[in-house]
Amino acid sequence: MAAIVTAENVTKVYQLGKTEVHALRGVSLEVHGGEFLAIAGPSGSGKTTLLNLVGCVDVPTAGSVQVDGQDTRTLSERALTDLRLHKIGFIFQTFNLVSVLSVFQNVEFPLLLQGGLLAAERRRRVGELLEAVGLGDHARHRPSELSGGQRQRVAVARALVTRPPLVLADEPTANLDSQTGGAIVDLMRDMNRRDGTTFIFSTHDPRVMSHASAVVRIEDGRVTAREAAGPAAGGS
Amino acid sequence: MASGVPTRWRQAGILLQIAFRNLFASRAKTFIVGGIILFGAVLVVVGSSLVDSIDVGMERSIQGSLGGHVQVYDARSRDELALYGGMMGESDLRPVEDFARLKALLLAIPGVRAVVPMGIDQAMVSIGNLFDQALERLRADVRRRLAAPAPPQEDPEYEAHKAHVRRMAQLLEQELLGARAIADMSAAVNRERADAFRDLQRVVLDPFWEELDRDPLPALELLENRIAPLALDGGFTFVRYAGTDLDAFQQAFPGMEIVEGTTVPRGRRGILLARLYAEDWLKLKTARRLDKIKEARDLLHRRIAGDEELQRWVKENQAQTRDIMLQLDPRRATEAVRRLQRALGSRETDLLRLVVELLATDDANFDERHRIFYRELAPLLQLYMVKVGDVITIKAPTKSGYMSSVNVPVYGFVQFKGLERSGLAGVTSLMDMTSFRDLYGYLTADKAEEIRRIQERSGARAIPRDQAEEALFGGGGSVVEAGKARAFDEGRLLAGGGGRRREDLFSRVYSQDEIDRGVALNAAVILEDPGRISQAIRDIEAMSAREGLHLKAVSWSKASGLVGQTRSLLRLVLYTAVLIIFAVALVIINNAMVMATLQRVKEIGTMRAIGAQRRFVLVMVLVETVAVGIAFGAAGAALGAGVVWLVGARGGIPATNDTMYFLFSGPSLVPRLGTVSLGVSLAIVLLVSMVSAFYPALIAMRVTPVEAMQTDE
Repeated sequence: MAAIVTAENVTKVYQLGKTEVHALRGVSLEVHGGEFLAIAGPSGSGKTTLLNLVGCVDVPTAGSVQVDGQDTRTLSERALTDLRLHKIGFIFQTFNLVSVLSVFQNVEFPLLLQGGLLAAERRRRVGELLEAVGLGDHARHRPSELSGGQRQRVAVARALVTRPPLVLADEPTANLDSQTGGAIVDLMRDMNRRDGTTFIFSTHDPRVMSHASAVVRIEDGRVTAREAAGPAAGGS
Repeated sequence: MASGVPTRWRQAGILLQIAFRNLFASRAKTFIVGGIILFGAVLVVVGSSLVDSIDVGMERSIQGSLGGHVQVYDARSRDELALYGGMMGESDLRPVEDFARLKALLLAIPGVRAVVPMGIDQAMVSIGNLFDQALERLRADVRRRLAAPAPPQEDPEYEAHKAHVRRMAQLLEQELLGARAIADMSAAVNRERADAFRDLQRVVLDPFWEELDRDPLPALELLENRIAPLALDGGFTFVRYAGTDLDAFQQAFPGMEIVEGTTVPRGRRGILLARLYAEDWLKLKTARRLDKIKEARDLLHRRIAGDEELQRWVKENQAQTRDIMLQLDPRRATEAVRRLQRALGSRETDLLRLVVELLATDDANFDERHRIFYRELAPLLQLYMVKVGDVITIKAPTKSGYMSSVNVPVYGFVQFKGLERSGLAGVTSLMDMTSFRDLYGYLTADKAEEIRRIQERSGARAIPRDQAEEALFGGGGSVVEAGKARAFDEGRLLAGGGGRRREDLFSRVYSQDEIDRGVALNAAVILEDPGRISQAIRDIEAMSAREGLHLKAVSWSKASGLVGQTRSLLRLVLYTAVLIIFAVALVIINNAMVMATLQRVKEIGTMRAIGAQRRFVLVMVLVETVAVGIAFGAAGAALGAGVVWLVGARGGIPATNDTMYFLFSGPSLVPRLGTVSLGVSLAIVLLVSMVSAFYPALIAMRVTPVEAMQTDE
């Protein structure tokens, strides 16, 4: 299967006041469609930075990141946003639901940004996804009425609703207890298997890593290892 | 994409939904921001409705009274034209010498409907005293009796007038007695007083009046020369008048209303006294004070009890009964006693005590007493010192310094719609142009004719100054010779109309040409279309330049001086208040929205991460603020409209003093809700909320999707 993400010798330097923070120091990575890839490493190792670059919310200082065949450094802010909207789903550590919208509306939101679907089609798709994540009867709830695990399920549904080839999850289980976190990883894994969606998630939880099809280890801004773990949907 | 449209609507829908839910989620902020906007909108709607109504009313009043649309006067005048007078009295205008020519030139300008000449100034009006008036009536009787072959035996009118003068003399005697008791006067003054007093004592006794019957003239002379000066009332007042072409004036100014009497017949001399001037200066003071108390009670709900001013008026009414007492001749005095006894249910027989009792008013009996005064007593009195048909003497210093005076018949009393009670703009009387020119020493058609005749008869001719020397001392000596040659017949000159008699002057009808030819101080220009004032001013000034005249044309608003400035001042106050309110609103809304935006950085970052464009975020924040703006602005406008409607439905805002009466152009201001003021208020509110949302929206737009990833919060 073709690579959906290709990072070549990527460097990212942040300017933090007068000091330069070298978050990534020459990372190269190739992710293939259907992978369920974990990026592991201690805090401050550069996991999130790498995810940001792959997720097109940031561009590298040097080197190149290609997502779905497009070099992110050559794209305008607008094009990057468009790329995110159509090709990438996001799952955040802190869930990041829009608090004033209902569960249904949160999931529907990316579809509305995309445009192009009729209301009935949107309803059907959102409904199906909510069923799939086990929140079929919570559609009208507000995020504040849900537990952490439920919120993250909504976030998963939101990430998948546009049927993106790639979903990024930044420490999706860090704010959940281990049981709930495990369930979320199972859910993501199910989706990965069902639709062949590529998942890249950062974590430092060994049990989560054990579900991954491959684990990329990062330390101090460098990839130290890439090891195949459990079986992935498209990777096997 | 065929299905794109519904999605876009849905996107707008979700924007609105996010906006409204955000607003609801932070209620406190929303209500603070909304409250300010609401208040601002109410202020704009109510304030501009009020100011608009005042403006429209004053515009109508001023345009319809003296202002017209444009005023024209000589640009070389020392002062600017102030139709209603300025701080320093009347403006010093350089006269326009040939009004007829000005009129023709102005009327030739397209869109000019009428041109009315004016000359506004102040003058003194002599008001005869009551004793003089009573004496005048007696004198007329005596003349009538002397002219008759045999005086009638029964002459009740003569007897009544005699009795009246005698009664006045008695009242004067009592007054003088009182004065002598308290005054400590020098010997000389005392001697003079003693003489006067001796005369008075003679006059009040029967023999004097029997002598009047036998030989009236010496007795009348004594009354006139010795007694009348002792009655100190009367004197003069100042009248502000506009000399004008009265016919043209009446056609041009629809605000002019005759409240009593008639207009001055076409081309005649005459004056229409301002009703307000008559009320304030010519009305019996007692009646005037009763009016004022009634108004204060009815309109302002003031009460005599606890109101020092009203109590003072009541006291003055009880103390100053002299005018009433002097006016009532014995016959009427008896009638007054009878009426007052009945109305007051009193057995008192002394008129003075009855009058004092009538005027001893308090809150309980005031309305009743006011009614009794006007129903029972007033018909026996002359309420105004001047009445329709009287001829009054008006005096003023001419521009060359000497006093000039004219007699003008009073044809009626006049007021101007909307300015009925304005002490500033409602006191202008209207006089014919010819009398005005007489009073001002300007050359009238009559005087020009007179001078022409004198020149002709005396053989004098006008010689320009630069040729005078030559004419006097040069060769022929023609001037002196000619003067000797012709006989100077003064008698014939006088008979020829040089000193026209009063009756002649009053019955003479002046032609339009005579009225137009001569000076005017300014001219009111009435336009076909009041909307084209500035165009007309440009046209007039262009004409002036072309014709070599030095004309200045100003709008009615500018010409109305202080009065016009009041309008601008009101508007300025309103705009300033609105400006301040909205400046504060701007800061507060901006602040609140910045805070709200900073609180939502993560949410906005999330939206950006999952694919929302910057524009979406920008619009989202704008929509939020503008939604508050529209919602509360509309509510405020509706509330303001409700207030305006309610005020209108309850009869408007009552004018509680003359200034307000003037501003309101009437007894109350019924504010009219203008669609313009509604629209403007909504536009302002929208603008303010957009502007105040702009900065927070920029902040929101700059939020990067990376912010969504931050976990350290």
